Amino acid sequence: MGRYFVRRLLWMMLVLFVVSAITFGLMHAVPGGPFSREKALPQEILDNLNARYHLDEPLVVQYARYLYDVMIPRFSLLEKDPDGGYIKPIPSLVDDFVIRFNIGAVEFKWMNFGPSYASRSRTVNDVFKQQLPVSFQLGMMSLGFALLLGVPMGILAALKQNTIWDYLGMSVAIFGVSVPVIVLGPILVWIFGVSLKWLPPTGWGSQPPYVLGLFPSNLGPEFFKYAIMPSVALGLVSSASIARLTRASLLQVIREDYIRTARAKGLMERLVITRHALKNSLIPVVTILGPLFAALVTGTFITEQIFGIPGMGKYFVTSITNRDYPVIMGTILLYAILLVVANVFVDLMYAYLDPRIRYD
Amino acid sequence: MRSKGLAVIGLLVAASMILAACGTATPETVIQTVVVEGTPMVVEVTAAAPAGPKMVTGSFGPGDVPTIDPGLSTDTSSTTIVNATTIGLSYLYESDATLHPGAAQSWDISEDGLVYTFKLFDNIPWVKWDGSQVVKVQTCPDEAGATKDRMLTAYDFEYGIKRALSPELASDYAYVLGFAIKGANEYNAGEATADEVGVKAIDDTTLEVTFLEDAAYNINIIGLWTAHAVPKWLIEGDDCTEARGDRWTEPGFFQGYGPFTLKEWVHDSYITIVKNPFWPGTPDIPMPKLDEVKHLMLDEVAEFAEYEAGNVDFSHVPLADIERVKADPVLSAEYRSAPNLCTYYYGFNTKAPFVDDVRVRKALSMAIDRQGLIDNVLKAGQEPAQWFSRPGLVAAPTMADYPDLGIKYDAAGAKALIDEYLAEKGITAADVDITLMFNTSSGHQKIAEAIQQMWKTNLGLDIKVTNQEWKVFLETIRDPVATPQIYRLGWCVDYPDANNFIREVFIEGGSANIKGGGGISWGAGDPEYDAWAQLLLDAAKERDPQKRTDMYAQAEEVLVDTYAAIAPIYWYTSSGVTKPYVTRSYAVTGHNEFVTWDVSK
Repeated sequence: MGRYFVRRLLWMMLVLFVVSAITFGLMHAVPGGPFSREKALPQEILDNLNARYHLDEPLVVQYARYLYDVMIPRFSLLEKDPDGGYIKPIPSLVDDFVIRFNIGAVEFKWMNFGPSYASRSRTVNDVFKQQLPVSFQLGMMSLGFALLLGVPMGILAALKQNTIWDYLGMSVAIFGVSVPVIVLGPILVWIFGVSLKWLPPTGWGSQPPYVLGLFPSNLGPEFFKYAIMPSVALGLVSSASIARLTRASLLQVIREDYIRTARAKGLMERLVITRHALKNSLIPVVTILGPLFAALVTGTFITEQIFGIPGMGKYFVTSITNRDYPVIMGTILLYAILLVVANVFVDLMYAYLDPRIRYD
Repeated sequence: MRSKGLAVIGLLVAASMILAACGTATPETVIQTVVVEGTPMVVEVTAAAPAGPKMVTGSFGPGDVPTIDPGLSTDTSSTTIVNATTIGLSYLYESDATLHPGAAQSWDISEDGLVYTFKLFDNIPWVKWDGSQVVKVQTCPDEAGATKDRMLTAYDFEYGIKRALSPELASDYAYVLGFAIKGANEYNAGEATADEVGVKAIDDTTLEVTFLEDAAYNINIIGLWTAHAVPKWLIEGDDCTEARGDRWTEPGFFQGYGPFTLKEWVHDSYITIVKNPFWPGTPDIPMPKLDEVKHLMLDEVAEFAEYEAGNVDFSHVPLADIERVKADPVLSAEYRSAPNLCTYYYGFNTKAPFVDDVRVRKALSMAIDRQGLIDNVLKAGQEPAQWFSRPGLVAAPTMADYPDLGIKYDAAGAKALIDEYLAEKGITAADVDITLMFNTSSGHQKIAEAIQQMWKTNLGLDIKVTNQEWKVFLETIRDPVATPQIYRLGWCVDYPDANNFIREVFIEGGSANIKGGGGISWGAGDPEYDAWAQLLLDAAKERDPQKRTDMYAQAEEVLVDTYAAIAPIYWYTSSGVTKPYVTRSYAVTGHNEFVTWDVSK
């Protein structure tokens, strides 16, 4: 198990390195830079901007600098203040670290994802700190909704195959897949927000500081009245695919020999389903949960736009249209990290769900 | 077990919906004594009006406000906050673009018109939101431990302007100041020191600024947000203030001196400014009537939904909803479209085949039915543009005084021109190969397709239409070879003077006439260009307003008609809805100012 983990970890590092190199290469290969504007900037202004963000250096140096800033922890010595304390450097956006503290005169700094070129008062770290928790909260709730709706619907459809329950469940699934958030969202806003005025049409119910950096500090009705519409709209689409997968997988498992064995030895039908069939049929569902988790918790552009949610999703899109290089790198790497970590968890879940799978 | 869990969740959801339906309590005003930077302060607290705080809510559009640092601001949302929390030496009324004294109560101009000596008000304090109310910022304690209010001084302006110009800050808008102030461009380019910049505080209330030209727009540029005062002690630190560096604009740190100050800024979510009770009220900038202005950060569709739900007091109208709003008895009364100082135009690459002939350019421009385009495609009350400088700018020609200036829709005239050209070249309409390019957007696409059809109908020309992603497009139109024959662009006001439009955009080295770039290949050495550039420089210096406008009218005639370097399409309007209980002004400069706004609910 230990060796398996080390091997996976090394692979993860390699994957992330390749992802970062490809992203860096592609974003610089696209024509247009972060400072090309409708109002063309004079050369002196461009020179100043390029110098401030080190964009005047060769690309290889820029890439090395990025990796160095993000990955390499560093120590520095603080100067002594006449009053007895230590003089801390003036906060600067080009020198902003996720982890930064000092013990005595020794200052420790680690992980500088760089400044945002488009938001001149923020860094990528700020975006992670302030927007990722919102996307995380929405993502977890819509994922929860998708599972609560999708799995039972799939099971019901499989067990009562070709009955009204099956058709009903699969109709809901087809509806979920074919009515995207961009249609469902405004309809929900119109009905519950504008016409009935039951729920606030837009906005999000929690704001920084977050508990443990991720969870809302006001987990109550005030929070849920904002969260319910976007969670349902976003979760419905995923619940549809989960329901179909569960149904298909369960139908297949039910026909397996070991299920026949279980029935033959006189086990109650309820136990056959819950203990033997269900657990095994969840493997395909768990497989899509990894990527689904990574996609949902890093935010979704359309849902955030429709419901006015201050999440991460829009940064995936606007950073590219703005050529906001550090934000592009930061968002892509974050997504990549979540994806590979989620996939490791998925692999561990396999071992739990299917006794035949062992990692040695 | 599973069904129980589901039931519990179901109950929770139901409960939250019921609770959500209950009204929210109105906040009460709490009177507090506070300690600011170690010093107890007596703070005057005005009793709250019985109706509660006067508040309006609007929206800036999706995405965070990029910055509220005066030196770095460039866009409308940033400047809205900056112009409310700090003010310039001069002050522009956003409703009519007239210039008034701002932080300077008066100014003297030297004989040669280059040196301006500003006399500042001495009673404007620096303020900040301390978490529960607005308080005055205090100086460091003296030996006896006493502190004084920090007042706005000429030194704060000198620092603010020089900081904006510093190469280290790398401000986008440093060049606008560099255009006017002596030594500014050199300092920004790293060729001179800060001391060589023509900005100098003589004493606390006197600031001397030396300009490059004796130009009418000097006083406008010095009032621009880029030249506002900023708090040096907060940015760089002093004996009693921790240096906040680039972070000084964060809520909790921010200090300002305008009629409003920053209260809350939840990034990507909303930003709130609150009335500054210590604003002394100048003859031109009174004490605001509103207590708070909140801006959400919503997409137009979401913003309009909030407006209809009654949570937002003034809102943009999405294009898809304009017809419905105009037809609705309630909404139509709340709807208004107001001028906005921007121009939408098509530029020509005057070196490219076919459009290198002025007759072709002119014919294409004349064949555009601008009113038809507005009535059938744009629908938001825009005005057909006959020239480039948007009427409403200082010294720009107006339609009332110059009804026949520039270019107009004339299908027959356009056809005659193009026939003459085709006959002379011995080619047919089918041989003409012209491409129009715009940046990818459904709005631009609709306009381009409508104009393509007008060219087809009126001239018999098949013009190709193509598009590119915005930043790729910008590269293309500035490339000497790749620049398409016709391309779309727009321009919005920085400071409301015709100089900011026609001269800054089209003189050699201007935004749309880049040296060695594509676009308008019109530059020094060409006698017609030289005469035109001289006319614009003379106009900038002209003191007589009528003569000045006449000169800009002449220059416009050359730009859009004689030389036909561009085809102006329309002048922008901003259309929006406002709840009937809001008394407001309408900004022509792009950003709203809330000093004269009021609510009566």
